[in-house]
Amino acid sequence: MLTMLEEVVLLAVDEKTGSLRSTREFATAYALVGAVFFDLALSHRIDTDLEFVHIIDRAPTGNSTLDAVLAHMATHPDLTTVREWLEEIFQKRDDLEGEALHSLIERGVLRHEKSKLLWIIDVERFPLVDDKPQQDVRVRLAGAILSDEIPATRDIMLVSIAEPCGLLGYVLSESALAARVKRIQMLCNLETISRTVRSAILDLESSLRQAMTKVV
Amino acid sequence: MIETKDETRSGWLVVHVRGRADAESADTLEDALKGALGKSTKVVADCAKLDYISSAGLRAVIQAARAAESLNVEFAVCSLNGNVKKVFDMSGLHHILKIHGESPC
Repeated sequence: MLTMLEEVVLLAVDEKTGSLRSTREFATAYALVGAVFFDLALSHRIDTDLEFVHIIDRAPTGNSTLDAVLAHMATHPDLTTVREWLEEIFQKRDDLEGEALHSLIERGVLRHEKSKLLWIIDVERFPLVDDKPQQDVRVRLAGAILSDEIPATRDIMLVSIAEPCGLLGYVLSESALAARVKRIQMLCNLETISRTVRSAILDLESSLRQAMTKVV
Repeated sequence: MIETKDETRSGWLVVHVRGRADAESADTLEDALKGALGKSTKVVADCAKLDYISSAGLRAVIQAARAAESLNVEFAVCSLNGNVKKVFDMSGLHHILKIHGESPC
């Protein structure tokens, strides 16, 4: 089974070109950190409440990305809130994406291609070798959004991470998403981690807007 | 640590939940609530003595509600207190399950 982090990164791969979609780059980075926290929660390593993150088991999970984050968390008892940890692990966002891509290549889901644009600029692509895992993620997301039934825990988490980084638009049409906006908001609100991811993104966007206004 | 106790009252199976619903006890809570679904068509989790609920505990309640939905069992939660009520409110749980101020039976 793929981790939540791998599922989100896989969803960001354009199935036609193999390029990585990053429509709202920082939002995607925050969402990747959220995905790692969900993976640690699903592995029974951390728990959260309205504000705090609790490490409940420091034993390695066997996944190197998760274990590196868990080890980092265990050495920083000064950081206690979900928000503080989101900002802390945000610094490692490039590693998270890179390690997830590497793992997807090792699993035979993606392959790595390097080329040059205009003979100068390096271009990396990750074409799908096996399209079934990405299709499975899409089907689960669409099912969770379009159905009125309560989704499984993993699917609630997946919707709440895919939404803030703008990846749902690659699964359902704009009109289908518009018709289910309340449902999507409801699912995103169920988890503390997703609420904190959303709040961090909004704060960052607000800071960027203020900075741009000052420049203009 | 969590304790659950079943009681049948006015056609409802009441699951009294006491203690803390966190990562350590979430599986116990989910099993107790899902177990009750097989015994009655109307189940309510009485949380009057639930002192704390974390995200893991909340997921256990949500998944019990999901199981109730698939079994066509009426499922509700009642008597939420203080911080536990705040967690339910913040998460918007009222959108997916029935929450009563007091026991419905």
